[in-house]
Amino acid sequence: MVQPSMKKGDILVALMLVPICLYVFYESGKWPKQALIGAPTLIPWGVAFVLLFAAGLQLVRALSGKSLTLGEPLGRANRRRVIFIALLTGGYASLVSYVGFLITTLLYLLLFGLVVGERRWTRLIPFAVIVPVAIYMIFATTLNVPLPSGWFR
Amino acid sequence: MVDLGLLLKGFGTVLSGYNLIALVLGSFMGIIVGAIPGLTATMGIALLVPFTFGMSPITGIVMLLGIYTGGIYGGGIASILIKTPGTPAAAATVFDGYPMAQKGLAGKAIGMATVASGIGGTFTALCLTFFAPILANFALRFSAPEYFALAVFGLSVVVSLAGRSPLKGLISGALGLLIAMVGLDPMGGFPRFTFGLIELTGGFSFVPMLIGLFALSEGFRQVETILTAPKVKAVLKDIFPKLRELRACTVTFIRSCVIGLIVGITPAIGAETSCFISYTEAKRTSKHPEKFGTGILEGVAAPQCAENASTGGDMLPMLTLGIPGDAATAVLMGALTIHNLQPGPLLFRDHRELVHQIFGGMILANFMFVMLGLTFARFFARVVNIDRRYLVPLIFIACMVGAYSINNVMYDLVTCVVFGFIGYLMIRYDYPVSPMVLAQILGAMMESNFRRSLVMSSGDPLILVTRPIALIILILAVFATVTAIRRQRKSQQAQAAMETPT
Repeated sequence: MVQPSMKKGDILVALMLVPICLYVFYESGKWPKQALIGAPTLIPWGVAFVLLFAAGLQLVRALSGKSLTLGEPLGRANRRRVIFIALLTGGYASLVSYVGFLITTLLYLLLFGLVVGERRWTRLIPFAVIVPVAIYMIFATTLNVPLPSGWFR
Repeated sequence: MVDLGLLLKGFGTVLSGYNLIALVLGSFMGIIVGAIPGLTATMGIALLVPFTFGMSPITGIVMLLGIYTGGIYGGGIASILIKTPGTPAAAATVFDGYPMAQKGLAGKAIGMATVASGIGGTFTALCLTFFAPILANFALRFSAPEYFALAVFGLSVVVSLAGRSPLKGLISGALGLLIAMVGLDPMGGFPRFTFGLIELTGGFSFVPMLIGLFALSEGFRQVETILTAPKVKAVLKDIFPKLRELRACTVTFIRSCVIGLIVGITPAIGAETSCFISYTEAKRTSKHPEKFGTGILEGVAAPQCAENASTGGDMLPMLTLGIPGDAATAVLMGALTIHNLQPGPLLFRDHRELVHQIFGGMILANFMFVMLGLTFARFFARVVNIDRRYLVPLIFIACMVGAYSINNVMYDLVTCVVFGFIGYLMIRYDYPVSPMVLAQILGAMMESNFRRSLVMSSGDPLILVTRPIALIILILAVFATVTAIRRQRKSQQAQAAMETPT
């Protein structure tokens, strides 16, 4: 199987690095420059120069067809699965403090199971119920770390 | 010098009460994490750091040492059984381990892997015990310029040796340095790169970021292969190696121990490098090199012994100088700072008792995984088959709960998720994650010591090259970088030659 090149990704990353470096130059230019605190801008500028150089080199290498190949190409189904999980995880992170750990985790595990192809409800439901309760018990009682209680506050 | 009285006391502490339970649990979990392909020792430590919050420092550290050593060893189990390394460190074990399994000798291979790992690990833990106090004592003479030079050396090795492309390692490392600068200026106290966000004035939370970059990112990787994980049906017998077999590997053990230790001490490279060097050397010096790759015990012993022999070497610069030897020790360093312990020479001066307990813990952790590995080999072999559809969501939840529980704030949870996805994309597109994390630790050290040096010399940068130790270290840094660039060019030329049609 022909392995796809990382050319597009390399170009994209190189282009994304340029504004980051420019911002470093811009912001560090506004910092105080007293001798008593060393030279606060020197290291950030040095790093930004190195990063800019690396981005330029990567761009040139990508445009001249010297990009490395991807280890394993990601199939459409796998890519969709990863995106679903990423969205699900992002949703979990934003909702858990409002809804509470137990309910959010239960729903998260159920949906996660469905996304990764688990259809055996007799296994999935007990798993989705037992795991949040067990983690809650371990953290809240044994480790004395309170988890978000959300609506049950 | 090491205080033998304190060391004996340290053994006693580690073997008592909760500490022993933590050691057993840590080693057990470490082997499980290592045995499951895709899950690394680094990930295991990152994942379980939050569970140590409620423990006393030594209990937590002992548990993490168990995970570390057990995780490095455990990778060999999957290498032998399913031809897929459980961890990158066990990649070379595949060469002879899997052919042995195909011959029906999986039990023998796992037994030898266990004992070899134990020998390597114990040797290196003893070296750590005896050399660390000497190095720490020497490092007490270091001042800001020397620490700056050490950080530069560490960074040059980190960046140049990482991944397939040093350029991508450089980008990853430079981004890590910039991330390290977010927050309040270490000497001036003014905010830097915070975009006016109050949460960023303290910088990015280090442990949630570590959990994201090392554990959650691997979780995302696992989602890709969740339905295609290989299964094992091996029957394990003759697990305990015979004395005759061990005696035949004596030279291999000695050589691998030394290789592992040297590779481990070198900043930024660890078990994943030492196992290959050791295997190649064992083959090169063997009287029957043609048998390597066909399934022989020496081919299993060499990489396994070296990978665990690098653990103590990796710990040495971390404990004595505050420079992590590899990604796993970077996470361990993060865990130590959570317990208010700052690795470096002062740790040896201010916490002598605890340091000796750590030495004791490191030595005993190696004995522990050997005992568990030999006793529960059949169980660990079954762990390789664990259903990923249940394991992966557990990893995700453990990551997020762990990140949240550090300060009980949502910001940490979001940091973990964001860096988890960034880490996944980095792995996918061949940007090594370790330089980013190591650069954050070394970057903070480099910047503060550089600026302190300038203040010491009233702004004269020559102070960095007029002190002999600093100068030698800086020359080594230049040498390491030049060597890496030359090696990269050679490998590119070799690749181009292979691709040219004849």
